[in-house]
Amino acid sequence: MRIQPFGDSALLVTFENIISEEVNQKVISLFHVLEKSDGFNSLIPAFNSLTIGVNKTIWSLTEATSFVQDIINNQQLLSYNGDQTSYVIPACYDKEFGPDLDEVSTQSGLSLDEVIQLHTSHTYRVYMLGFVAGFAYMGSLPEKLWCNRKQTPRVRVPKGSIGLAGRQTGIYPTDAPGGWQLIGQTPLEMFNPDRLKMSLLKPGDLVRFRAVEKDEFKIIKLKIETGIFEMETIDE
Amino acid sequence: MSDNLKLILNKAGFHTSIQDEGRFGVQDLGIPIGGALDKEAMQTANMLVGNSPNTPVLEITMIGPKISFQGKGQIAITGADMTPELNGQHTDSYKTVNINSGDELVFHNAKTGCRAYISIGGEWETTKWLESYSSSSILDNHSQLKDGDSLSVKSNLPIDVKEYPLSKRPIYSYCYIIRVVTGPEFELFDLPQIEDFFNKIFTVGNESNRMGYRLNGELVNYSPKREEISSGIVTGTVQITSAGNPIILLADAQTTGGYPRIANVVTEDLSIVAQMKPGDELKFMLISQEDL
Repeated sequence: MRIQPFGDSALLVTFENIISEEVNQKVISLFHVLEKSDGFNSLIPAFNSLTIGVNKTIWSLTEATSFVQDIINNQQLLSYNGDQTSYVIPACYDKEFGPDLDEVSTQSGLSLDEVIQLHTSHTYRVYMLGFVAGFAYMGSLPEKLWCNRKQTPRVRVPKGSIGLAGRQTGIYPTDAPGGWQLIGQTPLEMFNPDRLKMSLLKPGDLVRFRAVEKDEFKIIKLKIETGIFEMETIDE
Repeated sequence: MSDNLKLILNKAGFHTSIQDEGRFGVQDLGIPIGGALDKEAMQTANMLVGNSPNTPVLEITMIGPKISFQGKGQIAITGADMTPELNGQHTDSYKTVNINSGDELVFHNAKTGCRAYISIGGEWETTKWLESYSSSSILDNHSQLKDGDSLSVKSNLPIDVKEYPLSKRPIYSYCYIIRVVTGPEFELFDLPQIEDFFNKIFTVGNESNRMGYRLNGELVNYSPKREEISSGIVTGTVQITSAGNPIILLADAQTTGGYPRIANVVTEDLSIVAQMKPGDELKFMLISQEDL
């Protein structure tokens, strides 16, 4: 673990230099503790690090560093789990929505059905949000689905697209440029600035995909538009 | 007697947006902080019209807007010199300007600097999102102002005209020294690259905007040592792309990134970076945290 100044108004806490649930849990626990303090004005939890914007009208970087160090030393505080939710995300793996299904199938040596079966058979952890508002980096993919990014990124990936890159899977919350291999699309609104809970997912949440046909995809979209859709969660 | 001042942007200019201090506390969702790039110019402009320092302002870039006014109020212009004219006559920057109904304010191309700021004395009547008025590409049609857009401000009682001392005003150049502290991945770079980073004169690339400044000039013999695990970004982070080009990340940058972070621009110098335009030259100067 290392705490270092990050510029002149922020700190960076880096735990072990690996991507693992255990390391990410430390990041998220620390995030939840610091969230309650007035001394910080921005917090960015990532895979194995937490970026901490320090409110310098309240204290100095040195003072903030010892405050953060004390929390990390206090194991009890860091065992705090936040409110982790497990979601089921409907996904339509039609070629219209997943233009890279064939490429993924070739790269992995799996049939289309096997790709879908494998993608829906795992529970993924939301490690972090980044890139654009509400974009969740989820992992880790079963090894057979690890794949390279597109040689040439797309200028515009449609909102809701589900992609693969390396060991990660992610959902584009909005139309955005991107180089992930697209295998499907969700009808859910992953991010909506007008909603009280803007981002559907938060770091630490768990996600499982459920394959839906085009008809169900359209019905869910209608339900969302009319405000009668109910999010499916899994009780632990 | 208080009045409403309405601004109509007959021409919006190259890139005009509403900016304040930015929005904090939502970066865990991937929402950039945003806010005025040249905070010093924003705060000075607000002071000149009697506003609190972080009241929203118009940030105008490279080519300024044409604005007509309805109602009475006070404004001030700071930052880049875009030769502003009020009703066809030159009008001073860094000074309180009284506005009357029918007045027309026209800006031209930036002669020096890159961004000018217009403050308006009073309370803005535009939408606030997450405690900030700053434009955001996340909101539909809210990333920048368009031709024909209008804004309304509930004017304060007029204050005595103030002028900002000449000696305190910035002088813009075409060549800058930007102070940085070491970044999180500084130690991942070898000495030849580090020396090159501090010896080279970089030029601001054409693809520079509120998200970041791409600099022309590659670090000598650079190849990334390892794939970085994505991690947070703060305004002023200087990252090195796989091709060896530095990018200075600014207020609208994404919240996380995967390139190694070699250095961070000190907060005070971010106002200078904001005034650099494509083609301008810069050199980085390393200072220690203790020097701050």
